[in-house]
Amino acid sequence: MSQNQKELLGLGRLEYLQALVTEFQVTESSEAKEQVLANLANFAYDPRNYEYLRQLKVLDLFLDMLTEDNETLVEFALGGLCNLCLDKINKDYILEAGGVAAVVNCLASANEETVLSAVTSLMYLTTPQSCQEITTLPVIECMLRFSLSTNRRLRNLATIFLEDYCSPLQVDKARTLTRHTAVGIPLPKDEGSTAGSLDDLP
Amino acid sequence: MAAVDTAESSRGSEVGGVCQHHAQQTICASRARYREGRRPRAVKVYTVNLESRYLLIQGVPALGVMKELIELFALYGTIEEYNPLDGYPAEEFTEVYLIKFLKIQSARIAKRKLDERSFFGSLLHVCYAPEFESVQETRDKLRDRRKYIAKATNAKEQSLETKQDSSVHSSKIMQLDRGSWTSETAISKWNPATYTQDFGQSCCTLSLKHVISPSEQHYQNMLAAPHYTGDCATTSTCFSQRTRMDQRPQQRVHNTLSCWNLERKVPSDEGLGRFMPRTTQLQERKRRRDEDNKLALLGRETNKEIIIGPRLPEIPKIDMDDHSLNTSANLIRNRLKKIAVPVQTSNSPEELSVKNQTKQVIKQRRRI
Repeated sequence: MSQNQKELLGLGRLEYLQALVTEFQVTESSEAKEQVLANLANFAYDPRNYEYLRQLKVLDLFLDMLTEDNETLVEFALGGLCNLCLDKINKDYILEAGGVAAVVNCLASANEETVLSAVTSLMYLTTPQSCQEITTLPVIECMLRFSLSTNRRLRNLATIFLEDYCSPLQVDKARTLTRHTAVGIPLPKDEGSTAGSLDDLP
Repeated sequence: MAAVDTAESSRGSEVGGVCQHHAQQTICASRARYREGRRPRAVKVYTVNLESRYLLIQGVPALGVMKELIELFALYGTIEEYNPLDGYPAEEFTEVYLIKFLKIQSARIAKRKLDERSFFGSLLHVCYAPEFESVQETRDKLRDRRKYIAKATNAKEQSLETKQDSSVHSSKIMQLDRGSWTSETAISKWNPATYTQDFGQSCCTLSLKHVISPSEQHYQNMLAAPHYTGDCATTSTCFSQRTRMDQRPQQRVHNTLSCWNLERKVPSDEGLGRFMPRTTQLQERKRRRDEDNKLALLGRETNKEIIIGPRLPEIPKIDMDDHSLNTSANLIRNRLKKIAVPVQTSNSPEELSVKNQTKQVIKQRRRI
């Protein structure tokens, strides 16, 4: 295996990442796809790789995967986005590519890690320009519900989101709206259109 | 090594309850060869949410070895708190402990080093336990990550800038960048949680000030600027080495134009040079020097000087691999000739080495 490591070093970081991306695109096996995506997402944790990942269009790859049916692929891709979205260039790119809507959709996932990554990514993607798009009423309502969750990690993140990224006015508004609806209704699959779905309630 | 299956059922249970991410996942055995790591691992993505200063240690044999366990973990950093988790479901004859490190980096290393480690005849299973964090601790963790990325990416940006455009353009570009930085400050004003980028910013504004500050000082400041960033430390040292010997005359002559050129060319030059093997570089330099010497001699012939016998110890013409460098070097040489006495008394080591080179060169040139 040390031989393998040497080969890896000889390959160079960019070439190695390129090999991963190529395998991801070529492979038919969903297992291999998951493994490679996890690899890329973990590489996205280290700022030293950002330049390479941008060159290889891995950001687009992550964004594309958010709409996959395979829950694991979504989890890994969102983990990757969460890892690299603090960098200014990456952040601008994701915002430009309509990443907010895609991430907001993931709030409705049944997978714990996916939801956690989504909440953190939304916080990290917030800029003066993007905050209007992020702190919408449905999202704040969703965070209010998360802040009552028994899952402490989710509760903590949602609390931080509400306290640090939303104005008290926004939160109050969302709260009064929620009061009129029954608590605990699972989020609809399409989070983006929840504003309309409030009317659909009995 | 079998996964704790009970974890599956109780996701999102009470505080301190078993969480899914604590269940040890089965190791992935189907990786392509080039993706194999040193150790077999499960397929998992780590994010800031998953890591924590809290570590959960499962599989500690119930032999009253808490002291030994804590001592082992304390090797990797200061432990702020630790306690056994009595209510936590554990395999028979084992205990579960919770350890809170002072720094997240200690937790990272301890996890990497001690997971799957044999401890009193049993394998430890170490994992992050972010569900024990308070809201404030989670907030700090997120902020630290933000701070870290800001620092890492700003440093990179800055080093790129100093490499690319420490010339006159820099002031313009810097101003542009400054615009983007102020937009960052706008965020931090707008949101108290994001004020953490300050470090990187102050670093940048510092160098900005250097650039803006007028007159001869800015020359030195530009020299100092690259030192902030670890990345181009090598460049900057070569850079200052070369320029230092020129500095004194430069300050008096204050030929800003040549000094700008100097700054712009040298780093890019060195940057390229780094990819060339040293021996090749030396050979190339020698070849150029020889060529130069020949040219100089040829030039002399038109001056009616016949090349017989040893040449007088003139100040040699060292090729600096670059036209503008040579121009400025010539300027300096001329200046040195004029003020030869005071400068020579205050020889810097660089100058000495230059002199040594002179002697060698003279020897080479000697013809009989």
